[in-house]
Amino acid sequence: MFLQLLFTGLGIGAIYALVALGFVLLIRAASVVNFGQGEFAMLGAYLLVIFFNLLTLPYWLSIILAIVLMAGFGVLFAGATYWPLRHRGGLPVIISTIGASIFLENMVLVLYGPNSEQIDGLWDTPGWDVGPVYVDSQYLSIIVVAALLVALQYFIFEKTLLGKKLQATSQDKEMASLLGIPVAFMILLTFAYSSSLGAIAGILVAPILFVSTGMAALIALKAFAANIIGGYGSIPGAILGGLALGVVETMGAAYISVPYKDAFAFLMLLTFLMARPQGLFGERIAEKA
Amino acid sequence: MKLTRRTALASAAAVSSFSIARLGRAADSIKIGVCSPLTGPAAEVGAIQLNSLKLSVKEVNAAGGVLGRPVELIVEDDQTTNPGIVLAFSRLAANESISAFIGSIRSTQVNAMAPDAEKVAKPVMFGGTDPTLTHNGYKWLFRCRPNDSFSARVIADYGINTLGLKKWALVCSSDAFGTGGQNAMINTLKAAGLEPALVQPYANQQADFTPVVLAVKNSGADVIASYFTFEPDLAVFARQVRQLGVRIPWIGSPSIISPVTRNLAKNALFGTYGIADFTPDANDESKAFTAAYGAAYKGAIPDSGWTYDAMKILARAMNDAKTTEAVKVRAAIIAIKGLKGAEGTYNYDENGDGLRGYNIVKNVDGNAVYEKHIEFAS
Repeated sequence: MFLQLLFTGLGIGAIYALVALGFVLLIRAASVVNFGQGEFAMLGAYLLVIFFNLLTLPYWLSIILAIVLMAGFGVLFAGATYWPLRHRGGLPVIISTIGASIFLENMVLVLYGPNSEQIDGLWDTPGWDVGPVYVDSQYLSIIVVAALLVALQYFIFEKTLLGKKLQATSQDKEMASLLGIPVAFMILLTFAYSSSLGAIAGILVAPILFVSTGMAALIALKAFAANIIGGYGSIPGAILGGLALGVVETMGAAYISVPYKDAFAFLMLLTFLMARPQGLFGERIAEKA
Repeated sequence: MKLTRRTALASAAAVSSFSIARLGRAADSIKIGVCSPLTGPAAEVGAIQLNSLKLSVKEVNAAGGVLGRPVELIVEDDQTTNPGIVLAFSRLAANESISAFIGSIRSTQVNAMAPDAEKVAKPVMFGGTDPTLTHNGYKWLFRCRPNDSFSARVIADYGINTLGLKKWALVCSSDAFGTGGQNAMINTLKAAGLEPALVQPYANQQADFTPVVLAVKNSGADVIASYFTFEPDLAVFARQVRQLGVRIPWIGSPSIISPVTRNLAKNALFGTYGIADFTPDANDESKAFTAAYGAAYKGAIPDSGWTYDAMKILARAMNDAKTTEAVKVRAAIIAIKGLKGAEGTYNYDENGDGLRGYNIVKNVDGNAVYEKHIEFAS
């Protein structure tokens, strides 16, 4: 039982981690907390439904098309929510992304209707019995893809010139611009990648949670909590925070109380906010007197 | 034609009298306020319920209306939330021309709006199945589906007497609907001399049910009884039940057999049983309603008939009472006996309950197949 719960907890945690990665990316590159990240996941899943279920395109082609289109959508999203407010500080942009997320959810509801959609998983085999543990192929895919994307993201930010430019853009846009970094392009690129990342999360989660306008709300809030627990703006923190959140709520539900499952996740968040507000990997930032 | 002062005044008088006549006709309609989940998790099934209601209004109006006046619906979105329905109901309640209301199928939402409904003191027809809703002293709530004290008795009756099973795992939402069903199941089993092997509540809208499924597996139960509020939750649970190797019979509340759930869960629900207050082929009235619904909505098959019946009940009560005056309409609803509807035969009691039985339906390769009807006298 413990191993089964551990695997499931890691699978759920990997979903939170994937969405949290999108948060981190924009925090690091553009100093933006994007509360539309969950809607990126929802839109990606809906595009897969349209391409695969309705237009009956091949599955992998549908996935690629959805991810590419969502990259373009990320640029549009930046143009609508970030660009006009970029000189007005962080809060107006945050509120703008919250407004955009509500708009997107309701727009999909109007255009597509309230029907939940079932979509096939990545593999024909739903899973395997490995000893006492049932390994769900979709959960396994999420864990593997999350690990690969973390490695890729870590590599880009820490080991490439592009990553350094992105970080420089985040830390001081004026200085980055003086050094010849195309700041506007860097920010749009980050939104495009973040949107694609959200789409990947949505596509991976869709066979488990089904595709609905409310699917993002289930995970986005916990992904943000994972971000805080792991350390605001930290890539390894987002991953570990997400995984820890998934395991804690699953174990808490199994061994203490199922109805209070969500409470365990947010209790963990509160504990971190009180005892270690900088999170697992974040730097402690104190305001100077 | 030369425009003189006289012709201008005559034209103005004609336009005014036309407008007054139109206003008069609009004011003459019988207005029914509707709280409907146009958005939120229940929007999908909410659309079917609203379509059924519109069909019912069309039929009532085609048959001469109520008290010789046409019926008009005024719809507010309840957003599938408790604050949403309270807001929706307060907007409707502010309109004094509304004679009666149609509320939610969700017990938790009916619970939220019930205190306001009492203050407004006009009949509210609803579909929530929590038994306490009609036993808490609320005078103006009238249920158009059987309550969960009957659903639990039907589930237990079928499980014990037809399937011959005695060790029950109860998996129920922790909201008002699920808790009501859970308590009704515990009491029904107790009356049959049985203790449940597992009582497992869960919170709505979960991404994962592994702890719940493992609890069922480890309980040694030989049958599951479930009360799920939201269809996607039920579909996720069903898939994990199969994946984690639980193979015992499963009898669920009506959401297990809804087209939405069957479409999402696919083969994970094959072979399961559900109780259904509405089954298209259960009786002549349900067959007629299903045919009319299909004709009106491109061959679609409805998954409930309570809003359709609610309008018919209100029309009958107002016609019997010969007025829309709330106190007399209330008395006329309570006096209704033997009214055949799509959900069954309505015999209202003082509490506001009209139905006392359910159909048992089996999921056979994705199709809901009618098995039998189980009815209780009280």
